[in-house]
Amino acid sequence: MPLLAVHGYASEFFKAGSTLSFVTNSVLVALVVLGLVLWFSRKATKNMTLIPHKAQNFFEFIVEFLYNQVEGIVGPKVAPRTFPLLATIFIYILVSNWFGLLPGIGTIGWGEGTGFLSVKEVHDPLLRPPTADLNMTFGLSVSMFLVWLYVTISEVGVWGFIVHTFGPKGGLKGLMGAIVALVFLFVGVVEVFSILFRPITLSFRLFGNILAGENVLHTMSGMGGFIGSILAPFPFYFMELLVGILQAIVFTLLCAVYIQLSTTHDDHGHEEAHH
Amino acid sequence: MDQIKGIAYQIAGDFGLAWAKFFAQVIIFIAVYTILKKYAFGPILAMLEQRRQRIADGEAKLEKIAKDAADAAKNAQAIVDKAEADAARRIKEADDAAKALQERRQQDAVASANTIIAKAREAAELEKEQFMSQLKREFGRMVADATSRVTGKVLNTDDQTRINQETAAQVSA
Repeated sequence: MPLLAVHGYASEFFKAGSTLSFVTNSVLVALVVLGLVLWFSRKATKNMTLIPHKAQNFFEFIVEFLYNQVEGIVGPKVAPRTFPLLATIFIYILVSNWFGLLPGIGTIGWGEGTGFLSVKEVHDPLLRPPTADLNMTFGLSVSMFLVWLYVTISEVGVWGFIVHTFGPKGGLKGLMGAIVALVFLFVGVVEVFSILFRPITLSFRLFGNILAGENVLHTMSGMGGFIGSILAPFPFYFMELLVGILQAIVFTLLCAVYIQLSTTHDDHGHEEAHH
Repeated sequence: MDQIKGIAYQIAGDFGLAWAKFFAQVIIFIAVYTILKKYAFGPILAMLEQRRQRIADGEAKLEKIAKDAADAAKNAQAIVDKAEADAARRIKEADDAAKALQERRQQDAVASANTIIAKAREAAELEKEQFMSQLKREFGRMVADATSRVTGKVLNTDDQTRINQETAAQVSA
């Protein structure tokens, strides 16, 4: 029995090397999610009124809640610029994660045929959650990294970022100041490595959690015959619902915290500089 | 370095990392971002701001209405107070005027009464005098008549005049 019930990679619909080789089952689901988001956002914002209709009310609740959370982390100054991206990340990841829990995702596809419209085991599923594809999670984290870099530089400047990363804190002078400066220089180097690894940690955390969930559900679905395949994965669906929203929160929260950490002005240092 | 590169390639292979798929996912994400920003976040944040503004305006209007109501109540109270003061003043003026009028009338009445009394006195005096003169004349005549009867003498005019004068003097005394 293979270690993973679900492949670690998305299946291509077209043969490798062709122009359309990028069209994978996760890309297909990502497009479906895109359509869903488009449909619902249009439905929610069509004929908007001061007294909201149901869809508008629901979307307003989500947007207001997310905006308050983002504003609480990155601050009121940076929030208007970063909110659309952070909220998009949250909604996109959440919808993608939960979409993967729908029946048929990962269980309808191609494999060794055993009869009419029947396979022994699905090797190439028709649909795969986008968040169970490293290309998607890595794409998200790289996009986020670039936005983080842009916001940071536009907020504190290149020199400000360098000072913020490598500059000594505490205002010590003399021999102690020199020692502390060396320590902070070393910490800055470590920080740079940490920053560079953020896209990797972010993407693998999300990808790993969702792929693991998919594997758990697939494994449980293959246990105990027909009844077992229904009952065994049942509790894990609730867990995966939780994991789905948790991972969306973790990804978004970390991105917001990264932005907050790099755009926070060192007021204490500024005060000292003024003195 | 080559070892790290090899591991990276192996990971990429195991998990199906490929530039084309990577960019396809990035493009889809950018599309989701654009759609949400244009059709959801923009209009909804604008609507929330509009609602917030409306609530703030409503609150401001409520405060203004409450202030206006308080001012109106204050003005109404001031008008009522002024009206009450005016009414009290006018009542006092009317009262004073009535008292003055009453006093004047009373004085007039007293004066009228005094005049009437004086006139009555005068009339009484006159009547008394007339009565006394009549009485004197009658008494004189009676005395003269009695004297003539007693004496059997016809009294002349001088006698009668003297008797009348003496009688009148004795009656007056």
